[in-house]
This record gives sequence, C-alpha cells and structure tokens, in this order.
Amino acid sequence: MKKIFFTICSLLLLCSFSTENSVNIKAGEKLVYAGSYNMSGLMTQLAQVTMTTENVATAKNNYLHLSCELSTYSKWDSFFKIRDIYESYVHPTTLKPSLYKRSIDEGGYTKKEKYVFKDNKVTSTVKKRKYPESTKTFSIKPTSIDAVSILYQLRLVDFSKMQTGQTKSYTIVFDEKEIPVTLKYMGKETVKAGNLGSKECYKISIGAKTDALKGKDKNLIWLTADAKKVPALIKFSIPVGTGQLALTSASGL
Amino acid sequence: MRKLLIGLAILFTLLAIALSVLPFDTLAFLPIGLAIAFGLLLMQKSNENQKKLPKILLTITAICSAFVLGKTLLVKDEVVVDQTFEQQKIETKQEAKKELEELEQLENDLE
Repeated sequence: MKKIFFTICSLLLLCSFSTENSVNIKAGEKLVYAGSYNMSGLMTQLAQVTMTTENVATAKNNYLHLSCELSTYSKWDSFFKIRDIYESYVHPTTLKPSLYKRSIDEGGYTKKEKYVFKDNKVTSTVKKRKYPESTKTFSIKPTSIDAVSILYQLRLVDFSKMQTGQTKSYTIVFDEKEIPVTLKYMGKETVKAGNLGSKECYKISIGAKTDALKGKDKNLIWLTADAKKVPALIKFSIPVGTGQLALTSASGL
Repeated sequence: MRKLLIGLAILFTLLAIALSVLPFDTLAFLPIGLAIAFGLLLMQKSNENQKKLPKILLTITAICSAFVLGKTLLVKDEVVVDQTFEQQKIETKQEAKKELEELEQLENDLE
C-alpha cells in the first residue's frame, strides 16, 4: 500500500514543472476516488481515497490542512482492512509544509510518522508496531516538500505553457529520505472525471529513482485542463501489479 | 481423458465457489468460465449413466455465476463509517494543532 501511495503521490505531485500562485487551493474541497487493482486483467475495486482541505488556526498562524485518507470498501474489511491517513499542514498560499503526518493501519500492521519541517531540515518521528519510537533529523533541499502537499502544489502549475515531451525533475521527502522524481508532459487527452463528466486533461508521466515504480510511461496522471486542474485519473504500475484511481466525485472546488 | 476432465472441472468449480464468496467481483468469472468449459467437455465425454457429476458441477457454476452477477449489479461499493477511525482523525488533528503551536513557540524562542 505504501508503494501505491508513493506512486499516487509521485504521479500527482511531480507535475510541478513551474509554480504559479495565480490559483489558490481553497478550504472545503473534497475529492473522492475509487481505487482499483488489476487482478488477472480485470480491475477490482479495493478502496476509496478521499482528499480534503480545511483551514486550521493556531494562536499565531493559519494553516491549510491537506488530508488524504484511504479506506478499503466494506466488502474487503473482513479480509484485509486498511485505514490510512496522510496529512500535511501547509501555508495557505505557498503550500509550504510545516508538519506532515502519516498514520497507517493495513491488515493489522500499524505505523505512525511525523515530519516537522523547519528551514532546510526535517525532524522525523516514527513509531512502528512492536518497535520503539525513533527520531531522526536530516537536511533536505529548500524545494523539497512532503508527499501530500505536492499533490496540491501541482494544481498551481500552468501546464498550458508546457510542450509535449518536456521533462522536469523534483524531490519529495518520503520514508525519511529524499526521492528524486522526473515527470514528462505528454499532451492532452479526454477522460471521465466522475461527477464533472468527460474532461479534457493534461496527461503527465512520472518516473522516480525508486523501486516503487515500474515501467516507462506506465505511471500516469490526468489533470483537468482547466483552472482547477483536478486529478481525474491516475494509473500506476508497481512491482506487484498495476492499478488506478478514478475520480468519482469532486465538491467544494 | 475423462479422469483429467473430472479433475479440472472439480478444481475450477471449487475455485469458482471460493472466488464467488470472496470480494473479487468479476474476477470470479475466470474460474467460472473454465469450470463451465471443462464441465461441458466432461458432459460430452460421459455416457448417459455418467452425466450426474458434470450436471452437478455445471449447476454449481451456474449458481456461482448468478451470485457474482447479482453482487456486481446490486451490491454497491461503499466504505462503512468506522467510529474508531473517525475518533482517531479527531485526535490526530488535535495533536497536530498542539504540535504546530509548539513549533511556533520554538521559533519565537529562537527569535
């Protein structure tokens, strides 16, 4: 599941060829996806992925809370129940992360992570089931961001200025290390986007220097070619198979 | 030949039952299709007094087909409201707010 999430993040995010802050990510958004896995050539629906945004205020600052939840459909809960939360607290306009948290429960295997971003350093706290809590501080590139906030940063990118085949490199922080990712703009295609209907989308291919992704141009994301750039479809290829996330409903855009 | 067909028909019928019960959606049609194919071949290779077994196997696979089709068409994929998970989300959010305030305090102290 970690690999799937990483793939999704990579696909979504690294589409940040350039950042234009002309569009703000608003609080109150809710994107729901149906997650399917390819079993013997047939797509089988496994889980629902929900991405939401909301404002969070502390005594001193306001943050945008970006949350990504993954829950298996009830029919799977008796066999392999998954309840994962990936969340990031970011600056409302720059989307620069301050805090990233991950809590996973996958068939009884649990893990909790907390990354505190400060300047060019990250302090991570990890607690795996049956293992004592560990803390680590490591340096990161100034542009490195977490796996959730990058999902939203890509929506600030102006893809209309990209040329087919153009590539760009990025870095994300995942599993207590920086991972370089390359993405390639592959033109436009029309895909189904849940309650938004059929939409013309930007097609992006993602490659990463990690074992989590497999194949050339087999990890793809389609973003609606409008101001919102909603991820409409994500296809991934990992060592244990292929799958997809299809948008079923989008609200609060 | 007939013994081989009996073995294959029984094997795929058992697989069809297993995948029909498990939440594999239309994936169950793979063993169902093979069970039907081997069941029909077995029927063809059987004498009049040997057709009881293939008939039973074909009936079982037909029931499996109807069951899987019914599940696919009538049962909606949904996520149940998990109170423990909902409570965990609330607690995580409260913790995060505290952690952000601690981080802000730390930055204030450094300034």
